Amino acid sequence: MNIQAANGRMAVWVTLFLGILFQIMPLPEVVESWRPDWLLMVIIYWAVALPHRYNILTAWVLGVALDILLGANLGIRALALSLVVYVVVLHFQRIRHFPRWQQTLLVMCLVLLYHLVIFWLEFVISGAKFEPDFLLPAVSSLVIWPWLFLILRRVRRLYKVR
Amino acid sequence: MKPIFARGISNQFRLTLAIILSVVLLVANHRLEPVRQSLSSLLSPLQYLANVPGALLDWSAESFATRNMLAVQNKELLRQQLLMSERLQRFEHVRQENERLRALLGSPVHLDSRKMVAEVMEVASDPFHQYVVLNHGARSGVFVGQPVVDALGVVGQVVEVSELTSRVLLLSDVTHGLPVRITRNDVRMVANGTGELDEIELRHVAKSTDVRVGDLLVTSGLGNRFPEGYPVARVIEVATEDGQNYARVTAQPLAALDRIRYLLLIWPGEATQPEAAAAAPADRPAAVEPAEGQ
Repeated sequence: MNIQAANGRMAVWVTLFLGILFQIMPLPEVVESWRPDWLLMVIIYWAVALPHRYNILTAWVLGVALDILLGANLGIRALALSLVVYVVVLHFQRIRHFPRWQQTLLVMCLVLLYHLVIFWLEFVISGAKFEPDFLLPAVSSLVIWPWLFLILRRVRRLYKVR
Repeated sequence: MKPIFARGISNQFRLTLAIILSVVLLVANHRLEPVRQSLSSLLSPLQYLANVPGALLDWSAESFATRNMLAVQNKELLRQQLLMSERLQRFEHVRQENERLRALLGSPVHLDSRKMVAEVMEVASDPFHQYVVLNHGARSGVFVGQPVVDALGVVGQVVEVSELTSRVLLLSDVTHGLPVRITRNDVRMVANGTGELDEIELRHVAKSTDVRVGDLLVTSGLGNRFPEGYPVARVIEVATEDGQNYARVTAQPLAALDRIRYLLLIWPGEATQPEAAAAAPADRPAAVEPAEGQ
């Protein structure tokens, strides 16, 4: 039982780690602005599946790590991630029972929210100019989410994460 | 094991805590440099790991290069080397002449500074700023504020150092300002980034200032960060509008900021050639004496 629980926890952290890695992986210039928000989606999945274990403060810690890796002002992505995960944790039961297409649309909205919060903070801090490009990740996340959901669900069942 | 009625702290409390902590981080951002540096050192293995696919691609491109391609490249490099060495011969002559003239004037002789080649790591950065990550850090002596150049001109400066990597702010970033002068007439200005890779602007230039399209801008050495005389940009547009107080001058950076791969880190204070430093003071007294006699 204990070993299984430890394995499960390990599996979750491995997926989160991979999420961060994909987030900072180099991409060709053309698709760079389409980079899906891997880390955000992985966190959303675990927050929906196990909201009592992986929630707002987990998201905050990962957000700080991402800020450091991207060289942004500390706290920007931490705040954005915790806000999004708060919304998810509040409605996790409803999200679990949504049909897949509805869930996907919701994830897209959450990605949009995440990027708008980041843009707003950047705007307040260093006066960034708004470009519609910032919202492209929402579209690519929309495409990725159903597949990511299947993979993560498989991971969860395989390692019996509870 | 699964708690059905989750006790403990509520989500609202957690969110409030997260927001407070984030705001503290945002406000104290500049005081947190040491913390950031150590955390960044801790996380830099992740950056090296993320760099692996790009490095693999490079490696395969190099190892699968055909004999023909290599021959062409080799020929081109030989040609360049010949041109460069011819230029260097003239440069050596001019340098000696310049040193002698400077000694005559009694002004300090310029020294060569220590340099190191660094490679740009292919990792994603904050999309709101223009950064590149280098594969050298505090362990190689890199420091915050260090000037970075490439083969053609100034690239930017180091803004963040971890143990094994460092982050360079490009001179085209909106938050970057660089003191420059025009080589033609020594007019001093400050070049600000615009957020576009191929454009920087010179702000607060009086309309009567003598700036022309095609003028070369070099670092002026004011601000004590960049050594003097490195080429920065070429003026591409000078617009004077009646309604505006100042002329609008835009310039194009000489460094190819969109395809940087290898960069030079410069240590402005440290000389590489001790013999040059030793030779300079020996020359000077003889030259300075007549000036004192007058």
